[in-house]
Amino acid sequence: MSAPSTPEGRRARPSIASPEGRRARPAIATAALLLPAYAWLLVAVFLPLGAMLFFSFLKTNPFGSKAPLVFTGAHYLAFVTRPYLVDVAITSLRLGFWTTGICAAIGLPTALAIARATRGRVRQTVFLLAILPFWTNGLVRIFSWTMLLRQGGILDDLVHLVLPGVGSVGLLYSFPAIVVGLVHAYLPYMILTCYLAVAGIDDALIDAARSLGARLPTVFATVILPLALPGLVSGSILIFVPVIGSFMEPRILGGRIGVTMGTVIEDQFTQAYNWPLGSALSFTMLGIVLAIFALFSSVLRGRLAP
Amino acid sequence: MSGVEVQGIRKSFGGAPVLDDVAMRFAEGRFTSLLGPSGSGKTTLLRIIGGFEAPDAGTVTIGGADVTHTPLWKRRIGMVFQSYALFPHMSVADNVAYGLHRQGIRGAAARAEVARALALVELEGFDARRPKQLSGGQQQRVALARAIVTKPRVLLLDEPLSALDRRLRQTMQVELRRIQRDSGLTTIFVTHDQEEALTLSDRVAILDGGRIVQEGPPAEVYERPATRFAATFLGDANLFAGTVRDGAVATPSGPLRSEAPLPAEGAPATLAVRPEKVLPLPAGAAEPAGFNAVDATLRQTVYAGATSTLLLATRDGDPVKCFCQSRDAPALEPGAALRLAWSPTHTLVLGG
Amino acid sequence: MIWLGRAILALVLLFLYAPIAVMVLMGFNASDLYALPFVPTLHWFSELAGNDRLIAASRNSVLVALVTAVVATALGTLAALALSRRSFRGKSLLRLLLLPPIAIPWLITGTAMLVFFYWTGIGRGLHAMILGHVALAIPYVVLVVGTGLASLRADLEEAAMSLGATPFGAFRSVTLPLLAPSLVAAALFAFAVSLDQFVVSYFLAAPGVTTLPVEIYTSIRKGFTPEINAVSTILLGASVALFLVFAGLTRIGGERERR
Repeated sequence: MSAPSTPEGRRARPSIASPEGRRARPAIATAALLLPAYAWLLVAVFLPLGAMLFFSFLKTNPFGSKAPLVFTGAHYLAFVTRPYLVDVAITSLRLGFWTTGICAAIGLPTALAIARATRGRVRQTVFLLAILPFWTNGLVRIFSWTMLLRQGGILDDLVHLVLPGVGSVGLLYSFPAIVVGLVHAYLPYMILTCYLAVAGIDDALIDAARSLGARLPTVFATVILPLALPGLVSGSILIFVPVIGSFMEPRILGGRIGVTMGTVIEDQFTQAYNWPLGSALSFTMLGIVLAIFALFSSVLRGRLAP
Repeated sequence: MSGVEVQGIRKSFGGAPVLDDVAMRFAEGRFTSLLGPSGSGKTTLLRIIGGFEAPDAGTVTIGGADVTHTPLWKRRIGMVFQSYALFPHMSVADNVAYGLHRQGIRGAAARAEVARALALVELEGFDARRPKQLSGGQQQRVALARAIVTKPRVLLLDEPLSALDRRLRQTMQVELRRIQRDSGLTTIFVTHDQEEALTLSDRVAILDGGRIVQEGPPAEVYERPATRFAATFLGDANLFAGTVRDGAVATPSGPLRSEAPLPAEGAPATLAVRPEKVLPLPAGAAEPAGFNAVDATLRQTVYAGATSTLLLATRDGDPVKCFCQSRDAPALEPGAALRLAWSPTHTLVLGG
Repeated sequence: MIWLGRAILALVLLFLYAPIAVMVLMGFNASDLYALPFVPTLHWFSELAGNDRLIAASRNSVLVALVTAVVATALGTLAALALSRRSFRGKSLLRLLLLPPIAIPWLITGTAMLVFFYWTGIGRGLHAMILGHVALAIPYVVLVVGTGLASLRADLEEAAMSLGATPFGAFRSVTLPLLAPSLVAAALFAFAVSLDQFVVSYFLAAPGVTTLPVEIYTSIRKGFTPEINAVSTILLGASVALFLVFAGLTRIGGERERR
């Protein structure tokens, strides 16, 4: 039925017969299609990132002074010269690991439940409900947690209804509050990537494993988990990166204790106006994230290698 | 004049040659099949004639005019795709009218042409349907109607029947031939199905490795294959290799004769005989005078209703096949000895 | 097992939606301290009508989102056509270049834009936000339109051309109509990306020129009032409506067709 995988099967783009002089046209047309989008990305993303890299090596903001530019690598030593930044970075990493871990622990079972405990219209509805939060404003969702978590908030009321004696359980402005908000914000990513990975698992595969004598925990460990692993990995990347860079969530839910890499960087741009330091911290953060991924991918490759 | 001629066509994809110096004439009003295994370059040749691909070298002429550099949309060809490629967002009538509209034929004139084309493929009353609402065979007919309604100079068919089941396929073969005769279109048909090629065509061209290895009327190509590839790809053949000696070919099974001219004395030669030309005789029986004969052992009988195939082995263990009517098949157990005989008239001398 | 699965789903959906539900309800509650019992009122929504800052910010949000949707869909569609229908060298590199706008934390992209735009004199304001939002939306458009193109067989265009249509004519009469749902879905996606975008807008907002999410953030940091709930509810409603249309167009989550 399908086209053979021989040269005859190649239909990707026929080089449609055209007069000799017009041979160059396909290349020009391709470039014309690509240029607008990539020129836009160049101006709005890649040149800014380049400018930021340049800035990170400046001693001070170059604006408003005619003094010659002074270059320095000192901002990249901020972690040495300002030891409190190490604590901040550790807070950010803890946020990243807690959030990613909890999302994985909830997201995979949820994805499995959608794939195996529902079907038809119910499955479609549940799936849409699980990914709908993607589309809603993250700020609004974080804000909604302040309703529940604050002292005298809904959660307090509920607890007091059951146990009238206890004091306030107001979680707002604490580390767990930030984690709860971030999990709420990023859980749909994990559900989606895990669902895409496990939805394709054939019932027959599980039946086959069971017919070969595997009990359910064994089926999970030997069949489902390996197949879900790509979903867990891509979900973790999609969550870990933005969580490390988050600043709005820690500010709203963490209050004064919510000092993270994100909020420190934000401060450099909006309060302290030390853009070179902010730029250097941004790239340091990016470096840390990449280093963690490099570490993880080598661990994963070691595990997955035959 | 709407005959098609290709000359010196070369084409390679990513450095791999697909067509290597192909030359061929497709006579006006004739139905020609391009037959070959996948990878032989048959579809590429069709697409170059249609203008879907540009050749690296060579020329394509339609009706005597060089169209090598004429873009696809100006070539006035009709193409039926393997997938049919019906426009899913248009009704059957709109699909068929698409090419007419491109020629500026609209309104009542277009409607009349569409109706005539749909009548030709026996799909009256299907105008308003969407392609999705049609069966595979009906979609195929719509694709055919769409390709011929514009009165193209050439009709190109790219394995149009390969997606249909066997029964429907046989019906459509008859239909296709009728429509082609009625319309008188020069038709080029790509297939890997040898039976289909033999049934439908006025002429058959066999492609192998980017070259045309043989071309001619179906019976001639079948009865007189020029090469070992042509003999084995188009139909079945029993092959006997040996050396020319005393006007015969000395093979491990004994000397075999042919009426066709042999290579020079002492040269190697390969003889072939079609399985249906082989007579199975009891062991030790005398063959008809002048016939070639070899001794063989029965390995297996494959019963297929009207006919049976005997799978045998020569004394040296080379496989030999013999087709016969089931009525005439000897009732023998595997291991039984037989004598196989055939006329030198049916003994082919193969080159290549 | 089935019941365990359904219990998990119920709990997860409760976790995802309960806070949002509470937030919405409080926008309809009379108490300005979010106190119970619940006394329904539309007071906070009517307050909004008199809040010129919020109205101006909303108008900016919709304007930026509209421009983003149109520009990003146009540019992204052209790029998607080249990336999925043409063969050329460096294609995989170009595909890779679509990742940074999605994958790099918005904090970094946003501050980088601030640095560059300020430095080059592009400055801050709505035009800067549009520059940024379009760049963030282009990769999504390429993805959505590319998926749509992948489901269209290339031989449909060939068939049209064999029937006498020019390449552009074949594109207009065959590819474009079949691609229309994908284009609308991509535009909606771009609109939603822009409408909900906070981080990049936050850094590119000029004094007095903000969008709704930036305005909400500023208000939250000043202190909570049910007015924020009301305006958040409106923003939420707009996003949900966009999502439902998008889901209908792309049929995500639907059962796969069985053969």
